[in-house]
Amino acid sequence: MSDRTLLKLALRNATRRPMRTALTAGMVVAGTALLVICLSWLQGMFGPMLRDATNAAGHVAVRQQAYVEREQLMPLYENLPETAPLVQIIRQQPGVVDVQPRIATGGTLTIGEEIGEVFGLVDGASKAYFTERQNLDADLVAGGRWFEDDAEEMVLGAKVAEEAGAKVGDEAVLLGATQDGSLSPIKGRVVGIVSAGSGAIDRSIYIPLARARWMTDIPDGAIELLVYGADYEDATALAATLSAVPALSELAVQAWSTRPPWSQMGPMVDGIWAFLVFVTIFLAALGIWNTMMMSVLERTDEIGVLRAMGLRRRGAVGLFVVEALVIGVVGSLVGVAVGAVPAWYLATHGIELSEQVTANMGGQFPIRTTIKAALDGGIFASAFACGLLMALIGSLLPAIRAALISPVTAMRSGR
Amino acid sequence: MFASTFEKSLLIAAWVSLGGLALAQAPEAPAEPAPVAAEPTAEQILDRIDQNMVSESRTAKMTMTVEGKRRTRTYRIESYGRGETDSAMVYLAPARDKGTKMLKLGDEMWLYLRTVDRVQKLSGHMLREGMMGSDISYEDMMNGEDLRSAYKASIEGSETVDGRDTWKLVLVAHDDTVAYPKRVSWIDKELYIPLKQELFALSGMKLKTWTMSDIKPFDGRMYPTRMTVEDHLKKGSKTTVTFDELKFGVKFAREVFSRRWLERR
Repeated sequence: MSDRTLLKLALRNATRRPMRTALTAGMVVAGTALLVICLSWLQGMFGPMLRDATNAAGHVAVRQQAYVEREQLMPLYENLPETAPLVQIIRQQPGVVDVQPRIATGGTLTIGEEIGEVFGLVDGASKAYFTERQNLDADLVAGGRWFEDDAEEMVLGAKVAEEAGAKVGDEAVLLGATQDGSLSPIKGRVVGIVSAGSGAIDRSIYIPLARARWMTDIPDGAIELLVYGADYEDATALAATLSAVPALSELAVQAWSTRPPWSQMGPMVDGIWAFLVFVTIFLAALGIWNTMMMSVLERTDEIGVLRAMGLRRRGAVGLFVVEALVIGVVGSLVGVAVGAVPAWYLATHGIELSEQVTANMGGQFPIRTTIKAALDGGIFASAFACGLLMALIGSLLPAIRAALISPVTAMRSGR
Repeated sequence: MFASTFEKSLLIAAWVSLGGLALAQAPEAPAEPAPVAAEPTAEQILDRIDQNMVSESRTAKMTMTVEGKRRTRTYRIESYGRGETDSAMVYLAPARDKGTKMLKLGDEMWLYLRTVDRVQKLSGHMLREGMMGSDISYEDMMNGEDLRSAYKASIEGSETVDGRDTWKLVLVAHDDTVAYPKRVSWIDKELYIPLKQELFALSGMKLKTWTMSDIKPFDGRMYPTRMTVEDHLKKGSKTTVTFDELKFGVKFAREVFSRRWLERR
């Protein structure tokens, strides 16, 4: 039997029982639409999070090994005491676009006389790091600007500013600690308030690197050097290049993907992705298998006749698989279209998370209060391919069963 | 009375030497350690320590050396003590910390931060922080009245510390919520001076070790002039305080035990 005849037969079979075909196609439509929504949502949630995270934490970070081992405690004494020579060496390496020394610690902020208890994450780095790497100046509230590197100025996250009652122009006192653990205060003029809708950003206090160095008593150093390449996806290769530099051999050189929380987060996201796809395909395939199996049973005698007329087993399998694929193509196209509507809505309007949620997650994940789905051709293609896969998997067992039918037995069965 | 006496005595070389306290309304004349006929009780030992260590008012100049994991820092401190619970100190060096002051009145403590001209009241978790990053916490300095009745003491025999005969005193807190539920102290049998003290957590883990040495006469009293503190939770860290000057029965030229003094530049 020629492929053309096979296709004609499959199309004819698909239209013989419109209700059953519609039911089978409905499974594919539902599964594909669900995949479009879920995949675009996951992409929308983790894509910007990854970009924000790698912009803030560097594509590759260079730190003391001992600091990495106790990172959760932020041990300031495990610092890089002299960063200038290291920065110079790293800048000369291939693939390196930028290097930013950074000091991150904790501190309490006060506006007024008595020092209070408003806690913030103190982020000390150059103006370029905040404005060019993180683009945080785009999130400044009206009337503010970013600090100058050589000034006694600071920029506050919106949440910290709100709790401390700070506004642009106020003089603030930031109480932190030296690398030895001694209380260490600095003064500064609040020149900007940044509101990004992110727990991590809105709970931070941004100060020039020089002021952070004074406060922590690390006069010429930093906690880490953040290295940037052209693309954060090339970070592993960049880390390998830097690890081979003799001057960095004693230090921990880590690509973002190998650092917590992303080292645990990456496999988790992949796991969610795989689970979602598997469950959707499995459920839809189960439905397709059910309707296709009914079709095989109903057409046992017909298959027997075709087999007696010379249809090979492979042909019998092909007959049902092609029928399922025809339904799969139509169902997947409709499913993509159906799923695109709510996905588009989510991509346009997003979903607001409570500030409590972002505050709770923001310390580790730079999650924003409004999460929007991300739609692209890759998601549509993936969902469409999964739709075909559903149809293929769902039809395979019934098709094999059809192929195993003996012509004599089939014709005797009278079905 | 006993617990109160204990606090005065066991912490002597600790915060007294830091200028933290001028203890109790005790006689200004130095007490001559007199032999005790029979083996004394724990309370008698502590009373004798008071006799030697207590003074109504005192000033001191001292050097605090903090050895950290990566570097060593040295502070010069001038301190004042009055009565049982009031004390003040000002940092003279290094330049970064010069002019920083600390004031303790009763069970409240404030820090004057010269670089920003602000006063910080120390409370809550801040009390657990090391003073200037040292092994001595602000909480160690507090020595509040509530601690005075917190422990039950007993003599657990005699041991030799640095070649000196000592009584080993074990103090167990009545209440588990205190910073150090158990303290073990070794008291010099001849001089009635604590030579060593170990502080334990409820789990039995040793948190800190204080050792007092270099006992010298000051105004006729025998005083340990060197104190070493090791916070065992801060690996590689050690704090040593040495007295350069110590005066008892001082009449203060100006009022130092006030917020006004604290904020005076």
